[in-house]
Amino acid sequence: MKKLISLLLALVMVLSLGSAAFAAPGDQADGKLTIWCWDKTFNIAAMEKAKEMYQAEHPDVEIDIEEVLSEDIESRVIASNGDTTTLPDIVLVQDHSIQKFVTNYPEVYHDITDEFDFSDFMPAKLGLSVVDGRNYGIPFDAGTVVAAWRTDYLEEAGYTVDDLTDIDMDRFLEIARDVKEKTGMPMLSGQAGAVDTVLIMLQSCGGSMFNEDGTANIAGNEKLKAVIETYNTMVAEGIFIEVNSWDEYIGTLSNGSVVGTFTGCWILSTIMSLTDQAGKWAVTNMPAMVGVDGATNYSNNGGSSWAIINNKDIDLALDFMQMYRNVDFYNEILPTTSAIACYGPAKEGSNYTAASEFFNGDAVFAKIVEFGDKVPAEVTGPYYYDARGNVGTAVTNALNGGDLDSELQTAQDTTEFTMGF
Amino acid sequence: MTQTSGRKLSMHQKQNIIGWFFLIPATVLIFWLSFYPMIRALMISFQGGRPTALTWSDPLTRNYKFLLKDRVFIQSLKNTFTYLIIQVPIMLVLAMIFATLLNDHQLKFKGLFRTCIFLPCATALVAYSLIFRTMFAYDGMVNAVLVKIGILNEPVNWLNNPSTAKAVIIIALIWRWTGYNMIFYLSSMQSIDYSVYEAARIDGAGAATQLFKITIPLLKPIILVTAIMSTNGTLQLFDESVNLTKGGPANATITMSHYIYNTMFQNNPNFGYAAAMSFVILILVAVLSAIQMKVGDKRE
Amino acid sequence: MNEGAFKKYGKRTLIYVFLIIMSIISVFPLYWCFISSCNTTQQILGGRMVPSSHLMENLKNLFAQQDVLNAFKNSVINTVLVLVLSLAICSIAGYGFEIFHDKGKDAVMAVIMMSMMVPFVAILVPLFQMFTKMGFVNKYIGYILPSLSTPFLIMLFRNNARTFPKEVLEAARVDGLSEMGIFVRMFVPMMRPTFAAAATITFMNTWNAYLWPKVVLQTPDSITMPMLVANLLSGYVVDYGVVMAGVTICTLPTVIVFFILQRSFTEAVAGAVK
Repeated sequence: MKKLISLLLALVMVLSLGSAAFAAPGDQADGKLTIWCWDKTFNIAAMEKAKEMYQAEHPDVEIDIEEVLSEDIESRVIASNGDTTTLPDIVLVQDHSIQKFVTNYPEVYHDITDEFDFSDFMPAKLGLSVVDGRNYGIPFDAGTVVAAWRTDYLEEAGYTVDDLTDIDMDRFLEIARDVKEKTGMPMLSGQAGAVDTVLIMLQSCGGSMFNEDGTANIAGNEKLKAVIETYNTMVAEGIFIEVNSWDEYIGTLSNGSVVGTFTGCWILSTIMSLTDQAGKWAVTNMPAMVGVDGATNYSNNGGSSWAIINNKDIDLALDFMQMYRNVDFYNEILPTTSAIACYGPAKEGSNYTAASEFFNGDAVFAKIVEFGDKVPAEVTGPYYYDARGNVGTAVTNALNGGDLDSELQTAQDTTEFTMGF
Repeated sequence: MTQTSGRKLSMHQKQNIIGWFFLIPATVLIFWLSFYPMIRALMISFQGGRPTALTWSDPLTRNYKFLLKDRVFIQSLKNTFTYLIIQVPIMLVLAMIFATLLNDHQLKFKGLFRTCIFLPCATALVAYSLIFRTMFAYDGMVNAVLVKIGILNEPVNWLNNPSTAKAVIIIALIWRWTGYNMIFYLSSMQSIDYSVYEAARIDGAGAATQLFKITIPLLKPIILVTAIMSTNGTLQLFDESVNLTKGGPANATITMSHYIYNTMFQNNPNFGYAAAMSFVILILVAVLSAIQMKVGDKRE
Repeated sequence: MNEGAFKKYGKRTLIYVFLIIMSIISVFPLYWCFISSCNTTQQILGGRMVPSSHLMENLKNLFAQQDVLNAFKNSVINTVLVLVLSLAICSIAGYGFEIFHDKGKDAVMAVIMMSMMVPFVAILVPLFQMFTKMGFVNKYIGYILPSLSTPFLIMLFRNNARTFPKEVLEAARVDGLSEMGIFVRMFVPMMRPTFAAAATITFMNTWNAYLWPKVVLQTPDSITMPMLVANLLSGYVVDYGVVMAGVTICTLPTVIVFFILQRSFTEAVAGAVK
């Protein structure tokens, strides 16, 4: 009995000692910045660079860059429910989450409209972080869509990457069928139900799942319908292979079981990590939709922005983020992170204009920044992920033989249902 | 005589009070850390609006009324019950079979077998979901084997078809949790003297008779624990739906907990609605547990 | 060999074959995970099932990218604290609920059970707000407190206490042992298999706990092994060889703990029911 009590007492002591070991971040002394972002080889590396540059001029400023998963940052903002004491000063946010978070937690995010100059940034990207006309995000990496193709496979079928540049979907399908016949290869792959490809094609012709006033625009959306029909044609003909998970999708690229992909330019980090395939890839723009207004060869998928939290060190955070228009910063982080700037002038940087060995001497990064300026802006909103899930259901059901119009009507109803609370 | 019974009563009272002391730490912790937030959540389930500016719904039961019209919720309810009805009985029966086999004192390598069969629930979710997806992929190992031995004529796209995707989830659940339940049966079997089995064997009782006449009656309390835990676990199922199928294809495998999670963390956060759905789970588990307790929780 | 012996021999073989097949199916994903920690991402996604020579490289990358030792240490401390405290608190409570049972305590038990029936996400926000106010965020206590008293463990001990023989209890009381003394000296030794099972499960659950820790443990020094593995999976480019090396390190402790404790499940216990 005595032993038990002394054991418990000892444990209580260990516990309280342990507690003292961690200081609560809520009590930050002024002059210290905490930043949450999530990828060691990407945005963390970029912030380390920014920190280095900032501390060169402000040696007394302490900057903590902490690795926190995107979904964990989101969970923690939701869990703290408007109270910023446990939150850092700067967080990285997935572009499509900004609307949702700013709308729901306006007290958490700092309005930076008057603090920064947002001219020369990719218009399509900037729009994602504007809520009610106010800016809440500093664009970081672009999700500009690139089409990356295996030139060796194309050659086998008698094509070059130029044949796939500035083309429309009709021509693309023609080539794809021919390539499939000659090499047996599908052109594309992607996750079933994830609708990335559908939404990429939708934005390429200026379409959206929402109207300007924020209401759902799914049923009777001609652009969306045309896009889904094209997508389903590709799947049905075996031009687009649906796999069940992200790692299988990456697997199709690294195994060389597809000719290529079109998605956000961040995919190039993965492709460039396949060192045994160096020289076999080329980058161009995506095929444009046919028969819809405003079709272009450019789109966007993914990307993230920095948001400033209403915390004790706002002024310091604002000052730190001044690197957002620094061409040198974007230029220096490019080789290690492959993070492509949303800031137009960055394309003049020496690393942007340099020929890429992996891509046979093509200056792909400058090319991507140029693509970025031509991406049509997208209407988005706090219900983006709701709508996206429902459209995904409609696409899957239509593929399995459902009537597309009524499936889209269901998706519209389900989205309106959620919005109706 | 009167004096004795008087003393007994006071001793009984004394024990009763000591008994409460035994319960206090655990009970206080649960009331403080579970019930207090639960009551907050219950209140939230009658509220709506932005998470930091919740207001009472009009009418109060608005969130609950919405549930009946929500196709995704109804789909998730159906999916979850499909898992429950098929998976829990198979898993518990299998666990009992394993426990019985591995309780055999003459069996060799018991420790090794026990460890192997327990390992699935210790395997990290990352690794196991990755390999299940790979194995059940269209060009995966399962299709290759089944086609080769002639069970299938052509490969099946397991995860992309509503009923086979559900089957994969059920297989994964059974694979993962059978060993876990086996542990409880095995540990409880130790309070049965092994000579009881030997005596039964001499009397000519077969393995089945021993199981039904000796093991199961004596293990009833622990079978009840596992049944309630599995029911609860399945109705709150989350990991498999998120990691194996992402709820797809077209919500065919989404569970209630997965949908609640989406409502809070993925879609536009709707705390009130998520809380209302959570209390539906509470009611379902409570009713099912009450039935199980009614059947199994009797002191002889 | 007579027919009876053959029948018996055949049945034995059948049991072994069955157990071996089941063991292989059970272990396969873990085996694959260990193998994959020796392979490169391309080999893993290409479905390679045999080890190649990249283990050292993967481990080197893993330790370069993440503070594995620190995360491992945090996981050990958190798990040991939860294990010891929750077994103590819940076994005493479970014993109390059963040995001193009456209508009142049965009713309390039924109410306690309800606390596990609501999905954790529903109470996450109110609980986190409580913890912020009390200053428990980023502290050991914040991490372990919600898992110290679980209805499951209480119920496990309560229902297993039902097999605790009344004669032993009465005899001990006649001998003048205090109620706490009976629990510590009689019940605990006799229920060793139950404690072993409870310890295994609690170890596994705490070690693998994910949703609550990632919300309440916010500083990078306080991350646990599962959070470390999740960090490895977060990038645009995922190195699955490194991930699998991390998963292997994360899984081994549970395997070892189980292998050590499993013998206690089947040790003969004095005073078993006849």
